[in-house]
Amino acid sequence: MAMKINRRAILKGMAGAAVSLPLLECMLPARSSTAQGAPARYAILFAGQALGCDNYAKNESRIDGQSVTEGGHYIADTNYGRGFALTTPLLPLQGMENDFTMVSNLAIPFNANSSDGSAVPTAGAYRDFHGGGCSPLLSGTRSTSPEYVCNGITSDQVIAELNAGQTTHESLVVRSQPGFYVSGYSFAGRQYISYGPGGGRNARIEAQASPQVAYRSLFTGFVPDGDDDAARFDFELRARGSVLDLVLEKRAQLVNNVGRADQERLERHFDEIRDLENRINALPPVVGGQCLVPPDPGADPPIGGDHDGGGTGSVTAGSGYSDEHTRSRVFADLIHMAFVCDLTRAASLQITAFQSHMNARPIADSLGMLPGTVRPARWASVGGDLHEVGHNGDPNNRGQIPSAGLLQWHISHYAYLIDKLRSTPEAGGTVLDNSVIIFTPEAGHGLQLNDGISQNQTHSVENMVMLMAGRAGGLNPGEHVNGNRAHPATVLIAAMQAAGYQGNTLGEVSL
Amino acid sequence: MFPRIAGVIALTALVACKGQIGQAGDRGGPPAVDPILAIESGVRRLSQSELDNTLRDLLGEDTAPAARLLNEDEFRPFDNDYTIQQASAALISSLEALAEQVAERAVGDAARRAELVPCTPTGAGDEQCFRTFLNAFLPRALRRALTATDIDAYMPLLAFAAEDNAVVDNDFYTAVELAVSATLQDPEFLYRVEQGTPGNTPGLLELDGYEIASRMSYLLWASMPDDTLFAAAGAGTLDSPEGRSSEALRMFADPRARAQLHRFHAMWLGYRSIPHTPELVAAFNRETSALIDRVILDEPGSYLRLFTMDETFIDDSLADHYGLPRPADGEGWVPYEGTGRAGILGHGSLLAAFSKFEDTSPTQRGILVRTRLMCEDVPRPPPNVDADQPPQGAMDAVCKYERYAEHRDQSSSCAGCHSLTDPIGFGLENYDVAGRYREHDDGLPECVIEGSGEIVEVGSFSGPGELSQLLVDNDYIDTCAVQQFLTFALGRPTNSYEAELIEEMVESFRAGEHDFKAFMIDFIASDRFARRAQERL
Repeated sequence: MAMKINRRAILKGMAGAAVSLPLLECMLPARSSTAQGAPARYAILFAGQALGCDNYAKNESRIDGQSVTEGGHYIADTNYGRGFALTTPLLPLQGMENDFTMVSNLAIPFNANSSDGSAVPTAGAYRDFHGGGCSPLLSGTRSTSPEYVCNGITSDQVIAELNAGQTTHESLVVRSQPGFYVSGYSFAGRQYISYGPGGGRNARIEAQASPQVAYRSLFTGFVPDGDDDAARFDFELRARGSVLDLVLEKRAQLVNNVGRADQERLERHFDEIRDLENRINALPPVVGGQCLVPPDPGADPPIGGDHDGGGTGSVTAGSGYSDEHTRSRVFADLIHMAFVCDLTRAASLQITAFQSHMNARPIADSLGMLPGTVRPARWASVGGDLHEVGHNGDPNNRGQIPSAGLLQWHISHYAYLIDKLRSTPEAGGTVLDNSVIIFTPEAGHGLQLNDGISQNQTHSVENMVMLMAGRAGGLNPGEHVNGNRAHPATVLIAAMQAAGYQGNTLGEVSL
Repeated sequence: MFPRIAGVIALTALVACKGQIGQAGDRGGPPAVDPILAIESGVRRLSQSELDNTLRDLLGEDTAPAARLLNEDEFRPFDNDYTIQQASAALISSLEALAEQVAERAVGDAARRAELVPCTPTGAGDEQCFRTFLNAFLPRALRRALTATDIDAYMPLLAFAAEDNAVVDNDFYTAVELAVSATLQDPEFLYRVEQGTPGNTPGLLELDGYEIASRMSYLLWASMPDDTLFAAAGAGTLDSPEGRSSEALRMFADPRARAQLHRFHAMWLGYRSIPHTPELVAAFNRETSALIDRVILDEPGSYLRLFTMDETFIDDSLADHYGLPRPADGEGWVPYEGTGRAGILGHGSLLAAFSKFEDTSPTQRGILVRTRLMCEDVPRPPPNVDADQPPQGAMDAVCKYERYAEHRDQSSSCAGCHSLTDPIGFGLENYDVAGRYREHDDGLPECVIEGSGEIVEVGSFSGPGELSQLLVDNDYIDTCAVQQFLTFALGRPTNSYEAELIEEMVESFRAGEHDFKAFMIDFIASDRFARRAQERL
């Protein structure tokens, strides 16, 4: 693999946030170096969390009511280059140091002088967190209102389009947090991280929030071994097809007799049924090699109740948690096997929603006991929900360490997926060699987007961090790269290029 | 007079911060048909609750599969807003899984199967029995009369029953199961599709009896028509106002009507999932449901009593919780006298809604009153305010009232909007997040709560009782209740072109002395209920 010139030294000292900063080119290899015969896969995992807590510096915390000054907890606290030490959030990635690159110090531009929607700069954030950060982060396109909507196609869908027609599922879009959990409210757009061409509300891609249904959609199309099982499968497949045929045959009768607005709604529904039938009729995938039908996850964990979206006193046990841990692991299993079996080449997993009000307590209590997680030396159970933890909702436990521990839990799912991909042989290497897997938190930690004044804030699009794992397209991971305030979408573009994207833009951002 | 409805706002000082709910529903210019004659409607997908109720009534399915397998509905504040529904691959996959599971259970259970198939098949391929089953099942499922081609379309499924296949355990009921599964995935089942026939006015469509029956059942029961209603549709009874009126009256006697009224109020007033212990929530719900039942169904009279009732239905534990006298027989009506409470605003359910930061939020309670009871639009905070943080106020402020000082500071940009909300909330501050009376801020005896509130330029009050009276006396409650009801009934936000329609409905509500049940029946009996206008794009 021919590495390009390492330009980091040259770029050091460059100030400002030029959107087209070609910083990440160093991470990009020459094209077409993917292992022969293996397609490139792309996944993005999203955490509805910031990197620190309000008003706490990177090394400041309060644990069990005691103030603590201690480094090593902020995700990107260490030296740049290779051999960087793993901080608290990164501990699940132990042993995978050479499998991922961390790009820190990324920033989304905003207009410091005006909070008007028309004054948002190119690829910038509307001055209202959380909604204002969504579009630039995931689609490289500016937001012009507080609404949770991406105004352009998202990176995973660019890769999905690229591979259209080549796999049974164009993309796998899943979500672990099934409810918003705040009494009296619903998601209102916080549950979307994937958008099709053009973006906007009509381009939202609804994530499958049921692991059971996601499993079923992916793996009931497999032809089982054994003549009897195969014959039974054939019967069931034909029956399923006949049922859908029956429904689709009503299309004209129903659609032709209603007005145009109704037609559009019904057409969309019928189109989706037709797509389902096409997926079923596609050449049934065959088990073989590393491609196995994973175990049936069974019924979904029950969905937790609501709370008032607050801190320790009001987020009670039993509310705000639907075993997102198990749900995330099942989804990671499904993404892994969907990639191995080449059922899809693009995936997105929203572990927690934008402004997540998932109860933090079940995770905090179990940190270190949940497989793949590591309890920090100083750790006390954190109360409140994930969002309030970022805003110091627990009077006794706040600051960097609690935040880092909860971020670590999110990253444990990322590590779990990476470990599975790198443990699965493919084309003389591993599946991870032909994949690029992004992890992005919702927010950074720095200047508050809303007021543009307060420092060390979670509602910030500064000091953002993305992780990029895998060796698709010849990527050579294992570094901590200083983004020098580059737009986070530049990392996505680099990842998309590694997954075969020939362009060099995402929305309004160019590489 | 309807100044609030017509959008004429005389209060110049507050104009910058006031809007009317309904503008959001405006799109595409004026409707083709005067909303007084016929209201715009579109195809509506059954909400999770409606789908689960329908599966219960159609197939005896009592596991609420939609709530488990489908992504949650968005609430705005009602769960049935079809303008934000969007079909997706995730939805279709979930619906297929749901349909297969429900069909399997319906056919797998001997009793339910006997209910479903009213004949005994002579063999796996018994076409006559299959047709008999379809003739009984399909009209109920599709909520309309059948045509010959409807049944014929299902005939290919019979092949799966008759197929000679050594490895598959197939029989007649295999085809039944597939037919049920197909029907549950049929958009005609999943959506309420209204076609209608063109009337005298261009763009106006007259609904047929079955379409009217579904309108009635989903409005009154959140479920499908029962056999009686279905028969009435077939007989043409529902084509006349009298026919609709008498059927609606019958339907009100069904427990499903109560459940639906409870659901409507819980979504409207924001207490559908309040964050307290299950025991307390259950007690609150019994209290609030009892009041709703009483003022609408059990004791005919003015609906305004929902807000002015001078007693409340509680058990011993809730009496202790509120500090009210215990009821005579473990559970019953207890007078509020001297407590400052009245009606539903005195209930823990309402007082628990819209809390924030582990305490009551004067701002959020003010927003609740403005948006849900006065039907006004309260704008979002300006972007440079981080509303996720509680107000800090003066650096050394301990008491909540002082922490909210910035909201009152006329020199700051906050006061313009917060003067609309906070003074309302502060008038309810003596009632905590669980509806208990308190003299001071939680845990801070030095912070004595004064408890006086104001609806700016309307009047001042102290406590839920006086607030309710103020809202009633100034015609907010009846006006807004009608608008909320219409939003719920239409499954979408109302728009500015419908202001006159709402005015007319409010007049009729008043003319009927605020009898809510009579008002709903009148709405159902009205000509416009049996019509629709096609949506603009």
